[in-house]
Amino acid sequence: MQEEVLGGHIIIVNKITKTFPNGVRALHDFSTKIRRSEVVVVIGPSGSGKSTLLRCLNGLEEIDSGSIVIDGIPLDDNKNNRSAIRKEVGMVFQSFNLFPHMTVFENVTLAQRLVRKKSKQESMDTTMDLLRKVGISEKADSYPSQLSGGQQQRVAIARALALMPKVMLFDEVTSALDPEMINEVLEVMKTLAREGMTMVVVTHEMGFAREVSDRVIFMEQGRIVEEGTVQHFFTDPKEARTKRFLSQIL
Amino acid sequence: MDVTKFVLVIAALSWLMARGTERLGYNWQWYRITQYILSSANGDFFAGPLLHGLIVTLRITAMSLLLAFIFGLVTALFRLSNSFLARVLARGYLECIRNTPLLVQLFFIYFVLSPVFDMSRFASAVLALSLFEGAYASEIFRSGIVSLQRGQWEAAYSLGLSTFHNYRYIILPQAIRRVLPPLTNQAISLVKDSALVSTIAIYDLTMQGRAIIAETYLTFEIWFTIAAIYLLITVSLSVVVNTMEKRIGVTT
Repeated sequence: MQEEVLGGHIIIVNKITKTFPNGVRALHDFSTKIRRSEVVVVIGPSGSGKSTLLRCLNGLEEIDSGSIVIDGIPLDDNKNNRSAIRKEVGMVFQSFNLFPHMTVFENVTLAQRLVRKKSKQESMDTTMDLLRKVGISEKADSYPSQLSGGQQQRVAIARALALMPKVMLFDEVTSALDPEMINEVLEVMKTLAREGMTMVVVTHEMGFAREVSDRVIFMEQGRIVEEGTVQHFFTDPKEARTKRFLSQIL
Repeated sequence: MDVTKFVLVIAALSWLMARGTERLGYNWQWYRITQYILSSANGDFFAGPLLHGLIVTLRITAMSLLLAFIFGLVTALFRLSNSFLARVLARGYLECIRNTPLLVQLFFIYFVLSPVFDMSRFASAVLALSLFEGAYASEIFRSGIVSLQRGQWEAAYSLGLSTFHNYRYIILPQAIRRVLPPLTNQAISLVKDSALVSTIAIYDLTMQGRAIIAETYLTFEIWFTIAAIYLLITVSLSVVVNTMEKRIGVTT
């Protein structure tokens, strides 16, 4: 029933606008719809509003106008709706943002216990499964500062997955990593994509886009300049601006 | 090498003091001091007035420390809250306390508030001290909280943690570790400021000392002894915090 109402779209973004207090307009009448299990890669020059888009999708930033509906729940002023959406949407940040005073295990377990109210045993099993999945179970008792950047980012992914979200947002998650660590993180993300996770990924890793993305959105100045499959972007981008941008990142 | 320097400095200081008191014509009678700390009769030991005073000082300090910690934390959270009323309350409290002398606050609480609320001398003293130090502690807590990266808030938020859980598990554990050194400073101030309670006739360490001086005219001996006892309290406090810092590993 719900599916029909939504037309299979898990994220519906309708004409959202976001202007920061300093007058910068990050999003300008931005609209898009994302299907279940779709992997959308968002590219664009810095300041184009990519990160702001992700941050609006889980309520980290308030939108000025327009609407966002995720899994049938409108992201509005209703506190219950907001917290419901936060549970359904996992987010991974460029700067990891792990909790430095907690071990890897505690980082991943915390929200399961507090938000999902899982039992100790249950959360422990989930945590160990997730850590195994991101290939880092042997570091469960380490602190984030003892891990490499790539390892930290994999823990951050496990932490976001711990709530069993329906959507995962990735905000330039490989930009702060040394080149040799980028792959280990991308591999985890590819696995997730193949398992059918709905993902919105801000990245310039076109290799990743080519392998798993269903759609690429090219943004500039808070608007969609061009969107299509990754093949479309590689073979015949329409807009001159897109061509220029691609020639710089490829 | 360092030891030699230390000895030299101590020697120089002692010489200065000896010269100074010589000029003053002061008659040192250190041997009379011990009875005021501990006296013995028939093989039993009795605590002297200074020791009694020390216990009162310690009790007042300990209770005020605990309360100041709570006042400070609550005020800091109020100042950072979304509620306008909470922010105004916290700001008003902070400015009132920070910009008036502790002595006046103590008198105000003791002479004006305590008859109304039927508070004991001791309670008035603890309240005045903890309100005073709590105001300063709140600024310390606040600076610790805002010094954390925004990413910590965002990560906790995106995990669906409530504001309470966020503070309880993410923000405060990190912030308190960061502010432990300035917080210790504040605790040391509290120990020394507690001497002011002698003005409302509480027989703390300072008051006992004054009483002895009034009787015996051992002015310098008693004051120096009292200073040494305060030093002992504050140094132990620093040592305790230092070991605490090492144990919880203050890093970030």
